[in-house]
Amino acid sequence: MSQTAQSQTVSDERVKEMSALRRALIRPELGGLVGTVAVFTFFLLFAFDSGMFSSQGVMNWSTVSAQFMIIAVGACLLMIAGEFDLSVGSMIGFSGMMIAILSVTLGWPVWLAIIVTFAMCIVIGALNGYIVIRTGLPSFIVTLAFLFILRGFTIYLPQTIERKTIISGVRDVAEGDWLAALFGGKILTGFFTWMGQAGLIETFERGTREGQPVVDGIPMLIVWAIILVIFGHILLTRTRFGNWIFASGGDAEAARNSGVPVSRVKILMFMFTAFCACVFATCQVMEFGSAGADRGLLKEFEAIIAVVIGGALLTGGYGSVIGAALGALIFGVVQQGLFFAGVESSLFRVFLGIILLFAVILNTYIRRLITGER
Amino acid sequence: MNTRSIHEPIIRMINIEKHFGSVIALAGVSVDVYPGECHCLLGDNGAGKSTFIKTMSGVHKPTAGEIIFEGKPMHFDDPRDAISAGIATVHQHLAMIPLMSVSRNFFMGNEPLKKIGPLKFFDHDLANQVTMEEMRRMGINLRGPDQAVGTLSGGERQTVAIARAVHFGAKVLILDEPTSALGVRQTANVLATIDKVRKQDIAVVFITHNVRHALAVGDRFTVLNRGQTLGTAQRGQITPEELQDMMAGGQELVALEDSLGGTI
Amino acid sequence: MKSNLTKFLVGAAIAVAPMVAPTFATAEGERYVLVSHAPDSDSWWNTIKNGIALAGEQMGVEVEYRNPPTGDIADMARIVEQAAASAPNGIITTLADYDVLKGPIMDAVASGVDVIIMNTGTPEQAREVGALMYVGQPEYDAGLAAGMRAKDDGVTSFLCVNHAIQQPTVGERCQGFADGLGVELGESMLDSGTDPAEIKNRVMAYLNANPDTDGILTLGPVSADPTILALEENGMAGDIYFGTFDLGDEIVKGIKSGVIQWGIDQQPFLQAYLPVVIMTNYHRYGVLPGNNINSGPGFVTADALEMVEKFAGEYR
Repeated sequence: MSQTAQSQTVSDERVKEMSALRRALIRPELGGLVGTVAVFTFFLLFAFDSGMFSSQGVMNWSTVSAQFMIIAVGACLLMIAGEFDLSVGSMIGFSGMMIAILSVTLGWPVWLAIIVTFAMCIVIGALNGYIVIRTGLPSFIVTLAFLFILRGFTIYLPQTIERKTIISGVRDVAEGDWLAALFGGKILTGFFTWMGQAGLIETFERGTREGQPVVDGIPMLIVWAIILVIFGHILLTRTRFGNWIFASGGDAEAARNSGVPVSRVKILMFMFTAFCACVFATCQVMEFGSAGADRGLLKEFEAIIAVVIGGALLTGGYGSVIGAALGALIFGVVQQGLFFAGVESSLFRVFLGIILLFAVILNTYIRRLITGER
Repeated sequence: MNTRSIHEPIIRMINIEKHFGSVIALAGVSVDVYPGECHCLLGDNGAGKSTFIKTMSGVHKPTAGEIIFEGKPMHFDDPRDAISAGIATVHQHLAMIPLMSVSRNFFMGNEPLKKIGPLKFFDHDLANQVTMEEMRRMGINLRGPDQAVGTLSGGERQTVAIARAVHFGAKVLILDEPTSALGVRQTANVLATIDKVRKQDIAVVFITHNVRHALAVGDRFTVLNRGQTLGTAQRGQITPEELQDMMAGGQELVALEDSLGGTI
Repeated sequence: MKSNLTKFLVGAAIAVAPMVAPTFATAEGERYVLVSHAPDSDSWWNTIKNGIALAGEQMGVEVEYRNPPTGDIADMARIVEQAAASAPNGIITTLADYDVLKGPIMDAVASGVDVIIMNTGTPEQAREVGALMYVGQPEYDAGLAAGMRAKDDGVTSFLCVNHAIQQPTVGERCQGFADGLGVELGESMLDSGTDPAEIKNRVMAYLNANPDTDGILTLGPVSADPTILALEENGMAGDIYFGTFDLGDEIVKGIKSGVIQWGIDQQPFLQAYLPVVIMTNYHRYGVLPGNNINSGPGFVTADALEMVEKFAGEYR
């Protein structure tokens, strides 16, 4: 049998052409987008007059959502790279405590305490990643160990040094510190003062701050959230490294065969996740002025839930940072909004469960459309 | 179709031996591969095919013997050396990621960059354009460059992998059992792709244990048996039955084949 | 795909609707939000929930209970902020961490919401943040009252079993007790840890080494239960003067059998019930008690056990 050189195009008539609308619809962010619209519609209908959409109310759920976003960006990229980090919550507690111990107890300048803490977190993140890569153990187990190790230190250190589990006074020592202002400050304060004066937003009714706007600026926490989301999105979709993140999570062996430095990508993502946790903790410590041993409990799951609502695949290789940010927004709005809507707070978990289930089912469906899995 | 006579061999494997502890996987195998030929490596399971191509692609170092690549002795320390020299392997289990788009897969590990200011970004436009072009050349019509590889058939995936290796400058293309898991029509597509690649003066090493697939595109045939080669034959100098017997390592199959009515 | 999507959405809406609908039939009256620092797992706060519910019913006002699910104080600060944003008539909150909660509470006060501090915190801190008043049990005063009572009963030296050495407010109970007795605290405060076996052994060891000790104070069920076992084992049960803070099943049994003379109840019910009643009257008629209110110490002795047992976990 002599080979006839087939040069006609081989097309499979079973692959249907997709309509433009359908193609526009099937994006990893779709689930998050649908959810966001649904959630806002719901609360606009049921909680419009409750204060949820007053300046104070908006700031409240925005701040909570921004908190989720910060850790969700890290968790999202790491999950797409095929790994988990369960130590995020403990890392938040640990890094907050380190900043407080270094600056308040040891009297270091706050900027130095912050930088050293960031370095420490990133090293711990790298250690997490290194152990996962070297041992080949599931990251679930390795980071679970770090969940306990870090939480243990967070309780042990202040107890040993100060005989208590809450270290306060960070706000006082951070007064006027240039780096602390990057985490605990607010921007656009002039604009908000003007809006208050112009009567566009609510002002305080009494006390020493009478006449000042109730919301006097955008907290840096929200700024950080926006920066991290944009950075994460560009990194993932627009760079070579982003392609490597997808590849590492999609099939590590195939990626290695194609020359992708999988180990480096994964370790870097562990470091980035630790960095995000540290940003979260620093903003929190600078805003509230104290670090407690119980800060950040269960935050790792909240991050993972936000990422999954946002359409990422638990097994890696698929997902979107914008989706994760929308997931965080849904999470924050629902958590805070149920209260405004007057729902008994213990029912929050019921709602969370329903939304999670709904999101996962929808996302699985969308993913099947995209990839043609059956 | 056979253009090798005007060339030197691009790669010569001379008396290659490979021992794993006390196990002798390869006991002195010599094979030459010429540009523009499809050299079929046949053999039953455990004959040493995998070890042999892993030695060629730099995964294993030979215990003894010499590899001459483009006229010079070569010592590959790892697969990356071999890849950068121009020896690409398309594995049985593909280096393709189903959840990623064809264009992202195509450029995985070799992403084109575009500079915007001091920053370097993935040049999606270029990647998409090149992907569509290359796939068209291989005779595959994509719905779009963002179509996920998971939606392609097994044969199409093989073709994407082959096209990728060729695009990134492969001089020797090693195909490890590319047709073993495919249906009839998809196999035909892959064989057609091999033919296109050969016409670009690329040396193709086609590993298979299916004699009919080998005969469909092969220019020369080397049969491995128990770590040894039973020699290389030219197209037209050997019949399918002879190849089959050599693979089985002797005449035992003849009797069996008779009783089964020549269907093997 | 679209029909499936619609099905999902409709399904979700149906699932969600019944949970929301009834809660919109809001009462005409004032609205008060109680924010605690306790995680979901802390059953002690059930009494608080029942307390505000009863007060709300009696006064005809709407009450809500909110807490951070994991007990994270930073999350609690967000809840206070959020409660303020929902513009209730008043917020009743604990001051579990003054630094963290100070800002949100002061913002709430400044935006026109009245605040009463309950349970945790001090009268001074309540004044600092601009709260109307403080309702709770000042730990030192409770210890002092207990110490004076013990002195009247003839106690001259004591052992304080402290299972929460890291919480300074709890330790104040021991200090108050010592001052009430008129003795130095000195070595009589025992850092017992929280492990029942260790607590038991340490108490026995201490009583062996200091045989003239004639009084014991435990700071809650965690230290009281193993101490009861220790006393039963070394034969001092019923002989040595034994008082404890807070109530629990074993403590109630101990009081009944005479091993424990009294238990100090901080009466959480009052901490929840009174602020609602006080704020409602303040908002309706402008009347406000002139001082902070001590919900405890209420001494529970064998005589008063009937009510405690009847309402344990509900209102007591």
